[in-house]
Amino acid sequence: MKVQFTLNGAPADVDVRADEMLLDVLRERFGLLSVRETCGLGVCGSCTVLVDAEPISSCIYLTPMAQGRSITTVEGLGGTHPVQRAFVEAHAFQCGYCTPGMILATKRLLEETPHPTDHEIDTALGGNLCRCGCYLKIRDAVHLAAGNAGG
Amino acid sequence: MSDPTRSSDTMSDPRADGSIRYSQDMEMEGMWHARILRSPYAHARIRRIDTSAVPEGVVVLTRDDIRDLNRYGCQIRDESVLAMDEVMFVGAPVVAVAAATRRAADEALPLIDVDYDELPAVFTEMEAIAPGAPLVHPRHYISENDAAYFGMRPIDGTNICHRFRIRHGDVDRAFAECDVVVEEVFTTDSAAHVPMEPHASLARWHEGRLEVWSGTQTPFNNRMDLAGIFGLQPEQVRIVCPPMGGSFGAKTFVRTEAIAAALARKTGRPVKVVLDRAEEWQTMNRHPATLWMKIGAMRDGTLVAKHVACWANTGAHADSGPGVAQKMGYASPGPYRIPNVWVDSHCVYTNTPPNGAYRGYGQMQCIWASERLMDMLARRLDMDPYTLRMKNILREGDTYCTGEIMHDVAFEECLRRSAEAIGYHTSDDHAGKGVCVLMKGMQTPSRASIAIEAEDDGTFTIRCATIEMGQGARPAIRQMAAELLGVPMERVTYPDPDTDLVPYDTRTTSSRSTHVMSRALVEAVRDLEKNGKRGVGEVTDKGGLDPDTGQGIASSHWHQGAAGAVVDVDVETGKLHVRHVHASIYAGKVVRRAAAELQNEGSIIMGLGTALFENITFDGGQVTNANLSDYNIPSFHDMPRITHDLVEREGAQVYGLGETALPPIPAAIGNALAASGIHMTALPMTAERVLASIDGGGTVDEARRREMRDIVEAGLHRSEKS
Repeated sequence: MKVQFTLNGAPADVDVRADEMLLDVLRERFGLLSVRETCGLGVCGSCTVLVDAEPISSCIYLTPMAQGRSITTVEGLGGTHPVQRAFVEAHAFQCGYCTPGMILATKRLLEETPHPTDHEIDTALGGNLCRCGCYLKIRDAVHLAAGNAGG
Repeated sequence: MSDPTRSSDTMSDPRADGSIRYSQDMEMEGMWHARILRSPYAHARIRRIDTSAVPEGVVVLTRDDIRDLNRYGCQIRDESVLAMDEVMFVGAPVVAVAAATRRAADEALPLIDVDYDELPAVFTEMEAIAPGAPLVHPRHYISENDAAYFGMRPIDGTNICHRFRIRHGDVDRAFAECDVVVEEVFTTDSAAHVPMEPHASLARWHEGRLEVWSGTQTPFNNRMDLAGIFGLQPEQVRIVCPPMGGSFGAKTFVRTEAIAAALARKTGRPVKVVLDRAEEWQTMNRHPATLWMKIGAMRDGTLVAKHVACWANTGAHADSGPGVAQKMGYASPGPYRIPNVWVDSHCVYTNTPPNGAYRGYGQMQCIWASERLMDMLARRLDMDPYTLRMKNILREGDTYCTGEIMHDVAFEECLRRSAEAIGYHTSDDHAGKGVCVLMKGMQTPSRASIAIEAEDDGTFTIRCATIEMGQGARPAIRQMAAELLGVPMERVTYPDPDTDLVPYDTRTTSSRSTHVMSRALVEAVRDLEKNGKRGVGEVTDKGGLDPDTGQGIASSHWHQGAAGAVVDVDVETGKLHVRHVHASIYAGKVVRRAAAELQNEGSIIMGLGTALFENITFDGGQVTNANLSDYNIPSFHDMPRITHDLVEREGAQVYGLGETALPPIPAAIGNALAASGIHMTALPMTAERVLASIDGGGTVDEARRREMRDIVEAGLHRSEKS
């Protein structure tokens, strides 16, 4: 079936089977390799993309559900988005595999809560796992991106 | 060293813009995708494999395709590319398929029919050493891979694939003279590494050579094993190592590479293997262990004797388990002066998925036991556990029980800093507060070499086998090279390690790379200054232990650290709340501060998972929680107050610190519970186990302790005493 959506600001259409997950379509049809699978169950956040600004797990998101919506991956942020710069500045990653998901979830958090507390960060990013254990520096990055005092 | 060159470094980063490419992202013209059919039985004979229903367009690899291939294994040669006559664990690869798409490969798996005759199986290390236990492998063949670098002592006709001993002083007489003796049995469950990126490799045959792109910590070991499997010279195998999305020991030695290579041989195409998440639990986990320890002291707290017997469950393949058991054994006395030490450490086969290197490499298990035991002894002596440690701790110039003299010793400083950081001394009873101190060996002997090439455009290229898995070794090596060369860091490049281009290095394990390469670089730069075009530096660390006496040099360079924890417990539910955890790690000289901090923080957080909730559960040898919904790893929701420090000294060497802060975390938390009267012997310290200890009045299981003593005395070492 044909599905049309906006992908990183540009119109996109793709012919998929009804059961194809957005993760696979973004990786295989569009070469967006920042979208990465870890758990395959929607519990780890590695494959997070924004659908109409909301973070979703693309490993369990059926592609036809994206019809008419706007999808953003980290490639769409261009590399110099304030959240990306804050992650680099705060050294908020090690292997970098979970980082695109963390950055997109942070982008949404700051749109809703411009100056989050540690607790609000933990709640918003609680579904994004980082096995390298960069959580403390990711918190620093979020505070930095938010321009929080002492962040 | 100067401040990291942040200016150019922080403008962009391939990890933040998503452009970093891992092994799983590798693509090649004409490439096919592999999937693996795995054993549903823990131990069975394969009667028949029927692949006749697999459609055209899918290539099937069975045991009949690989009869010309040799067995392999980094320390014991106990693996074949696919199961031949028998399967020895649930998840053992039986058939592999390749197709143009992953979906087509996936859909072929249920069309394959395999008949099995089930055989008796054994699952725990203590079952496996019992008389008459089913044998996983009747005979043990020592590998020629240079990962089998120490005196291997497999025992044919048993499930023991390695045993290691320390014999120091006269233990029997010493215990008889002690005022106080305590003993206990400790256990640790299995845990999963959970790298966010799964195991992935891509193989092709090109002009008579095998080429493999693989996220692996052990490129040269994989080259040796793959050459051995396919009957090639090592130079006929090329391994290229893209960065990894985490490893923590999981991506060591041959994992998916041999299947990719055998499928590439059969299909005549490049073939990529990317494991499903569930397959990770069937590929490589951490050794569960049982440790019996006895320690004796004089009334004033002077340590006199220690006796250790421990068993590491390595699963159905030894992998690097013999090395894990050896390190578990030689660090089990702890960083103390003990004149009489007797250690028997064993690596034991069972019919469970293979266990291998895991951040900490056996040290977490032995430190859990030995540091919990120190607190038990302190309580019996009516001494403060901190004071007891300080009274006996190894100091500069002391001799360890292996006979080696300790240099650049920092245990005391690490312990003092950790205790102060958690406010240990602010109350007399220390309720809810615990400390732990540890020593951790580094790969010894080992060899490291590095080359620097001067390019015509004024830049420099580093040729080095050290791989990147997020630990920051490659940036650290680039930075050190830039400082030695006197150029900005952006003029030094470090391409992905490629065994065709880089000089030999033992492997990227045991937190050795930044340390050994810091030394090899000095020589390489000196050599470059002489030659102008290419400079090579090499360092060799001699040493090693006699496997029958444990005497020699265990580690050319000891990793040192300590931790402290503050906890409280809900006595109604057993729920344990960690309020604060601190680790003090000896760094010698920090190279890249942020990266060093990240390694400390990551180790502490991984240690919290091990301490509190991570354990792989089994039913009949089958992992029952092989997914990230049932197997939890620490998240933002699990963060207590975490602090740490990097202990530095003027003029000191660079010390590795990739894993030192993990092993002490569980014992520090266990000791904090002990200070509140809750005695824990098993990891993880789940609410159920904490509650059981509270309900049992914090007492130990005397029957189990007696049973263990019987095993030790009847068993495996008294009869071998010579």
